[in-house]
Amino acid sequence: MTPRDFHPLTVLDTRNEIGGMAKTVMFDVPDALRNTFAWRAGQHLSFRFSVNGEEQRRSYSISSSPFSGDPLRITVKRVGGGVISNHINDNVQKGDVIDVMPPFGGFCLDPGATARRTHYFFGAGSGITPLFAMLSSVMAAEPNSFAHLAYGNTNEKSILLQDELSAIRGMNPDRLTIHHIFSKPGFWSSADYWRKGIIDKPAIEALIAENPPYAQDAQYYICGPGGMNLAVKTALISLDVPATRIHMESYGGVAELDSSVEGMAATAEITLGGSQHSINVAKGKTVLEAVKSAGLKPPFSCQSGVCGACRAKLTKGEIHMRARMALEDADIENGAILTCQSLPISRTLSLSYD
Amino acid sequence: MTRMLHLLPVEAYTSQQWFDHEMRDIFSKTWRYAGFMEDISEPGQFITVQAGLNNIFIVMGRDRRLRAFHNICRHRGTQLIRAVGKTQKALTCPYHDWTYDLEGNLISVPEEHEEFGRIDKSCLGLKPAKVDIWKSMIFVHPDPDAPAITEWFGPVEPHIGPHVPEDLIEYEELNNSYEIKANWKVVVENYIDVYHLSHLHSNTLQMYDHKAAKYHWEGPHYVFWEPPVGAFLKDQESKLIAPRVIPKDMNGAWVPMLFPGIGLAGSEDGWNIFIIEPLGPELTRVSNRGRVSNRSGWEFSRQSMKSSMFWTKFGLSGKYEDHDAMSKDDPMVAGDFTGEDVYACEQQQKSLKSPYFETGPAAVGESPVIDHQKVVLKWLGDGK
Repeated sequence: MTPRDFHPLTVLDTRNEIGGMAKTVMFDVPDALRNTFAWRAGQHLSFRFSVNGEEQRRSYSISSSPFSGDPLRITVKRVGGGVISNHINDNVQKGDVIDVMPPFGGFCLDPGATARRTHYFFGAGSGITPLFAMLSSVMAAEPNSFAHLAYGNTNEKSILLQDELSAIRGMNPDRLTIHHIFSKPGFWSSADYWRKGIIDKPAIEALIAENPPYAQDAQYYICGPGGMNLAVKTALISLDVPATRIHMESYGGVAELDSSVEGMAATAEITLGGSQHSINVAKGKTVLEAVKSAGLKPPFSCQSGVCGACRAKLTKGEIHMRARMALEDADIENGAILTCQSLPISRTLSLSYD
Repeated sequence: MTRMLHLLPVEAYTSQQWFDHEMRDIFSKTWRYAGFMEDISEPGQFITVQAGLNNIFIVMGRDRRLRAFHNICRHRGTQLIRAVGKTQKALTCPYHDWTYDLEGNLISVPEEHEEFGRIDKSCLGLKPAKVDIWKSMIFVHPDPDAPAITEWFGPVEPHIGPHVPEDLIEYEELNNSYEIKANWKVVVENYIDVYHLSHLHSNTLQMYDHKAAKYHWEGPHYVFWEPPVGAFLKDQESKLIAPRVIPKDMNGAWVPMLFPGIGLAGSEDGWNIFIIEPLGPELTRVSNRGRVSNRSGWEFSRQSMKSSMFWTKFGLSGKYEDHDAMSKDDPMVAGDFTGEDVYACEQQQKSLKSPYFETGPAAVGESPVIDHQKVVLKWLGDGK
């Protein structure tokens, strides 16, 4: 384990980004600390500042690759009212000495000289910083692999590390694609972008359809603000991406899609073959099991959520589906359920097989 | 005394025991061609392929990533897996309806409680294999932990020619497959025999200068290149039968034989594959497919018309004149180089069982044959 101690590091240089709204700060790591500050792409650094006599700690992702020859550095965007982000942007300059804890974090991409992978990166705003370290590591040290970046911003004025992204794309035209998504593209702007909007499921589907994995060991990395991480992960899972291939900064657990909800006892109004029936569903039983126990003859087949034979339309109440492979998202939005997988989670249900 | 074909005993080309050994130690332990990348282009599509002793199932998910599994249901081992359902997100075995998800996890067993009491589904997932795409071809490896395909083909890649097959489109008329009544090594040896080019194919491949051929080995893979002859090179743009696909300074025939039995054949105007699949000690399947420039049909017509006069005069023809034909469809008269090769391979195989079989010295141009035999011996273990 790397000791969790602060070390004073000297600022090698700084660079203003996006019109002074962000700043890249590069550090001089002395030889004696070379091993202590060896980093993996995707890791972050913790800093200790004293501002107005008060100690403040912040973590920022490292925005350079350990394989590209760039110095250890961070890129910090101003946050409205943010004490430290504005302090760094306003005050930190070449020659300053700052207390820094050695790199840590498990959101990493370790390039392999013989690995052959397709890496998909989904980032927004300053979420680009660890992703930039990762994708430049792939270009520098994983020569048989490919990378595709979807990068969301307000418009072309807020793209962090834009020149570096363009340069690395220019050097690797066969291995790297970059897709800019603007939420509010300037009306008069001539800036080129891929899509308008945010990195949502349609954007993710389009990215993968336009850039299907060539190397079949595909990996997915997400770093964005707010609810973006979970939304992207959910969208990826709905596209059959196994969770083991999805990597993101952990901001707490992610709900399992098929988590074992127990269900509850309920009464259900069933429409089947043109007639109405009122039945009880015992706790822990599926709707299909209850309908069968009541002596009715509902359609069903595989009982595993695959075939869709037991499909019905839910018109009242709520159910939890343990599996739903036979249904598309649009079907579910229209009330379709698989009765063999449905557990009631409200006291009363109405549904129709007809 | 053991009758030999150079370094290998005749039995290597005729016996079931040798064949079984090769299936186990060569074809079950190397990357196997499974198709062109276009063969699985949409989620839910799947193919199966025999890789030595293993039948492997390849399917695409909605993330457009390929998954490969051994086609063995974990219930009774039946080779029946298929993708089903409206969204084809489930892999199922129709025998007893055991069902797996796209990661191979067993997700449902019909009448699980009544029939099995309790069953630990987490231990009964499909066994994964490895799949990847290289040079526009899908390959599988039975071992899920096999090194990356670029480690296997990487060292030979810089030597196999300038073609970018991903940028070319399949020319489906080139898609054909046929059986040759000969051992797979006879077919490989024919493909890499430089000496025969000027003789068996004296009137079918004379547009390339066999005397200037350059060839060598990169590990188990054979690489070969030869330049066009002067008559074909001069004003070549009017002589290519299809639009050009490689730069002029890389002209020539690029004809590697990757191990085991993966032949490629690239030229100025096309790129083809020649996949050799052993079916039995004395039976081999060859599958051909090819790619050409992604240009309009009109450009192909123009190129074809422009070049036809040259080819009429240049005179591709049979090795022998009509009056020497032994039968109506004698391959030595037909003027098709593939027919010539198939005929030579089958006649070679027939002779192997004669008690009087004996080979003479190998020519310099046959050194690749000897070297391929060395590769085979190495993979089977020198004790064979």
